[in-house]
Amino acid sequence: MSELTKVQPDLAFIKGVMEAGGDTVNKCYQCATCSVICPLSTEESPFPRKEMLWAQWGLASKIAGDADVWLCHQCGDCSSYCPRGAQPGDVLGAIRNNAIKYYAEPKALANMLTTTSGVLGTVIAAMVVWLIVGYLWSLHTGESFPFPEGTVAYHKLFTFVPIDLVVLPVVGLVVWASYKGITSFWADINKGLGVVSYTGTTASPALGVLLSRYLVPAVKEILAHTRFNKCGQTAERAKGHKWLLWSFIILFFVTGIVFFINDFVYLLLGLGHFTPMPLYNPIKILANIGAIMMIAGIWMILQMRQQKTEEGTLKSSEQDWILIWLIFSVGATGIGAEFFRLLNLAPVAYTVYIIHLATVVTLFLSLPYTKFAHMLYRTTAYVYEQWRKDVLAGKAGFGMEKEIIPPAETVSKEEE
Amino acid sequence: MSKKIGLYIYTGDGIKDAVDVDKLVELATGDLGCAVVKTSDDLYSAEGAAMVKADIDSEELNAVALAGVSPRYDFPGFSFPGVYVEKTSLRELVVWSHQIPADAEDADAQKEHVQELAEDYIRMAVTRCQKAELPEPNKMEDANTKILVIGGGVSGMSAALEAAEAGHEVTIVEREAQLGGFAARLRKQIPVGPDYSNMVDPIANELIEKVNANDKITVRTGTEVARLAGVPGAFRVSFKAAGSKSEWDAPVPLTDEEKLDENGNELSAEEQKAKYDAKNEGRHDYMEEDPNAEIHGAVVLASGWKPYQPADDEFPHLAWGNAAVVTNVQFEEMAKAGNITKPDGSPAKNVAFVMSPGGAEDDADFPYASATTSLVALKQAKYVREDYPEDGKAYIFYQHMRTPGQYEYFYKGLQDDPGIFLTKGAVTEVTPGDNGLTVKVEKTILGEDIEVDVDLVVLATGMVPTTKDEAVVNFAYRQGPAFRDLDLMGGYCDSNFICFPYETRRTGVYAAGGVRRSLTIEESLEDAAGAALKAMQCLVAAQEGHAVHPRTWDFDYPDFYFQRCTQCKRCTEECPFGALDDDEKGTPKPNPTRCRRCGTCMGACPERIIGFKDYNIDVVGSMIKSIEVPDDDDDKLRMVCFACENDAYPALDMAAARGASWSPLVRVIPVRCLGSVNVSWIKDAMSSGMDGALLLGCKYGDDYQCHFMKGSELANARMANVAESLNSLGMEPERVKLAQVAIDDYDKVADIINDFVEEVVGMGPNPFKGW
Repeated sequence: MSELTKVQPDLAFIKGVMEAGGDTVNKCYQCATCSVICPLSTEESPFPRKEMLWAQWGLASKIAGDADVWLCHQCGDCSSYCPRGAQPGDVLGAIRNNAIKYYAEPKALANMLTTTSGVLGTVIAAMVVWLIVGYLWSLHTGESFPFPEGTVAYHKLFTFVPIDLVVLPVVGLVVWASYKGITSFWADINKGLGVVSYTGTTASPALGVLLSRYLVPAVKEILAHTRFNKCGQTAERAKGHKWLLWSFIILFFVTGIVFFINDFVYLLLGLGHFTPMPLYNPIKILANIGAIMMIAGIWMILQMRQQKTEEGTLKSSEQDWILIWLIFSVGATGIGAEFFRLLNLAPVAYTVYIIHLATVVTLFLSLPYTKFAHMLYRTTAYVYEQWRKDVLAGKAGFGMEKEIIPPAETVSKEEE
Repeated sequence: MSKKIGLYIYTGDGIKDAVDVDKLVELATGDLGCAVVKTSDDLYSAEGAAMVKADIDSEELNAVALAGVSPRYDFPGFSFPGVYVEKTSLRELVVWSHQIPADAEDADAQKEHVQELAEDYIRMAVTRCQKAELPEPNKMEDANTKILVIGGGVSGMSAALEAAEAGHEVTIVEREAQLGGFAARLRKQIPVGPDYSNMVDPIANELIEKVNANDKITVRTGTEVARLAGVPGAFRVSFKAAGSKSEWDAPVPLTDEEKLDENGNELSAEEQKAKYDAKNEGRHDYMEEDPNAEIHGAVVLASGWKPYQPADDEFPHLAWGNAAVVTNVQFEEMAKAGNITKPDGSPAKNVAFVMSPGGAEDDADFPYASATTSLVALKQAKYVREDYPEDGKAYIFYQHMRTPGQYEYFYKGLQDDPGIFLTKGAVTEVTPGDNGLTVKVEKTILGEDIEVDVDLVVLATGMVPTTKDEAVVNFAYRQGPAFRDLDLMGGYCDSNFICFPYETRRTGVYAAGGVRRSLTIEESLEDAAGAALKAMQCLVAAQEGHAVHPRTWDFDYPDFYFQRCTQCKRCTEECPFGALDDDEKGTPKPNPTRCRRCGTCMGACPERIIGFKDYNIDVVGSMIKSIEVPDDDDDKLRMVCFACENDAYPALDMAAARGASWSPLVRVIPVRCLGSVNVSWIKDAMSSGMDGALLLGCKYGDDYQCHFMKGSELANARMANVAESLNSLGMEPERVKLAQVAIDDYDKVADIINDFVEEVVGMGPNPFKGW
């Protein structure tokens, strides 16, 4: 007698998917054109047909345990070729949006940051916080508030101390929420893999193995946009995304450098302020390149999404636009702050700077709670996909990879 | 009447290259004594027709034979009043089907074969011209044009409205106290037109109003037909109160078992009569006329269907018998009465629809189920959602989800409801538990075997035609009050479901709606129009004296030479349409307007006393005898092939047109139906020295395609007797063979012929050749 699965459709889940952009989910009649046409679907675990069916049947736990939805880059090929007018690409997008909410802790933040008013509110709240902190700091420094006198230099308003005071708790929250999300997601998809030990625990790779064997190749692939480039209907979207991703990396890198030099080296050596850097400083040059790439990348994404949405190739939810405009605001205010600083227009420069700081904090805060979290879950899914292959091939799971890895590496080197 | 015959030979399409036409002319003018013989390579033109007409006028021809293109092609201008016209095929049956390769070594010998073949077809055509008479139509000029509609559901009401709008008086007889039938007892129904995406309110009441408002329609509710006697154009209808007994109830003949005594021997005629009288006590003989009967010209049978009610011990694996397991009809009743509930009256929010009862072994749907059952399941699933929009869940487990044509939009529309869950799968078990029922489904499209907890299980049972278990029409016919062969036809009354929709096995009675097949209300409306039209056509046919479908051009009807009748009853028993009644002695009483001219009676008659003017024992027998049979040439064996005009003969034409070729030793004679093939023709063939006989007819049995129900099956039984006779004469019974050919078997029919010829050649010549 075969094992029977108790099926209990979750109507709320179906309605959730339908409301989040997957309103066409019920149109699917299982012809599997989507899975055949999809440039990213794999033979071992084809999608998005099965996800469409699971969603129709309200099988929330099945969907939760499915990493494949994250292997989709929503190119829209499936939607274009669907003979029934269903939009599997959008349904998967809706499922991803819902999954992000599902794994978000606390949920209230996710609910807030996924609405336009919530995001605007957050930005305004952040501005207020910055102003309060700025005011209190001005009491300590004796600079005039809100516009310090003399040449515009933002450290007159905030040094790293008040900035870190605000940002570091946010970083802490984001890291904690991300960790919670990724680990719960991993547990669910691993359950979906069906590899469960006798004690009922699921297997996970050891940290070293995770990094070397799975995370590094996954990140390499992400940086190269190997899969995104394969997207048929919207391959151009990959370009904007690639620019944007690299701009984030560059800006993360320069922010890190500045953080290190300013908050540690200069502080310990008592050298005063590292910023503002002159325009010829290589770090400044890199930062400006990053900023321009960010604006250019997000602009390309914006154009593409508008065009594809009008064509009906893909559906865009509120969340999609929020993230685009938030990133755009960060880039625009960043460049604006620099521009007005150089022009030495104190009132404008400081105002823009406050807005910039507010948008940065909001964007950062939204990382685990909004569409931005695709960064976390897609990367996890890429890792998981490799891990799944190994587990199914009997090469990993329950500590097996330790014996397997050396020969596997030799083989891959030989191949190269 | 002596015949003055004109023969016209078409020489185009390669005929003159393949055949020595001059020799044919010589044969016809000489031995065959044709008054006029002409050739033309443009015979089938207006000029050709004018030429024939001119000859008819100047030479006073009374028969014309056209030799050339297959008789299945109709060219305008070739019908001449008062002149018998015979058409024979030289193009298909001689030239195209016997192509001689240019490099053939024995080209001359082959050519000789083809020439002889052509000559034989000319002989047969001229012989037929000599023997055949022109039909004189049996016109029933006073045919009654009133139409009786049995059943007052949507099909019956629509048929009545259609017929009334066409000017006919109509009587609707309805057993129940009011019109509407099943369609009036629905909560909602499947749409009858665009938009198809959701269920709609029942339309039955609208039709009832229209019927009541129509002064050409008489409605008799609470009434049944006690007996329907007579013929199309003059049916005598005796009504009675529904459920009552009447002296005019149609008598029921003895079954085959009842005709036997305890030892299995057939009872004598007197004993059978006594038994029959006892069985039908209180009823008038079927031939007796009810003086109060109302005359109607034709009948639309729209008596509908009955829900399939599973037996108590049926479907135990589906927990049938549990109060929470219901049929779709019981579910509909519940839905019509109020909300959908569990047996205890609490809301039933989770409902499973089971479409196929066969578990993992058999994917067939319930008996008498169809696409309609699929549509009904979708509709009823929506009831669950209507009653419980927030948390109602309806599951449909199907092996076949059939939503043909526009109904795909219905499927699409209902599929859009997030609370309707569909999967293909085998429902293997329904287990009652503390909280309702658990349905186990294997091989689902979810990729695994699942179980679902539900409050109710609905079995998508089918629609059983009312004719299955009841006589309904109650014919006062020789063959009994019900349609025959109900076991063979699953209880349905059609005569050829595909080719002749609406036609039942009783001429003048046309079925529409659920009694004809399992269908939706929309399809019933269409059906009703079709059946009403058929009924009207039948009245015209009776008035003009021609047959109804499929031989609508045929003004002939069977003629009986009663002086030689031995009252063997074979014709009355075998007529597929119950056309023949009889008298007390058993002498058949023909009813021409019931007859479809298939000739089954002619094939059955051992005394050879039944025939048509242009198609009888003598006509065909003489054609067979006109074939030249060389009695000293082993390379020139001769076989006759009786090919059914409906499917086998067209298949031969198509095979020839596609370049298939078959042995030149075979002479094809078209027959109306294999049922009309009299064994005397086989005897004629064998005694004239022919070496074999092949019968090509329609498929019979479950997938029957015979246009006259059982013609090929009857022929097969008769040929078994022929085989016995051959055996007793020391001849191989395999010399006579029947093969089943469908109209699309044009790629096989040449092989069938060639295999038969090879077999006969292997047996050697007919030992009685030349006697």
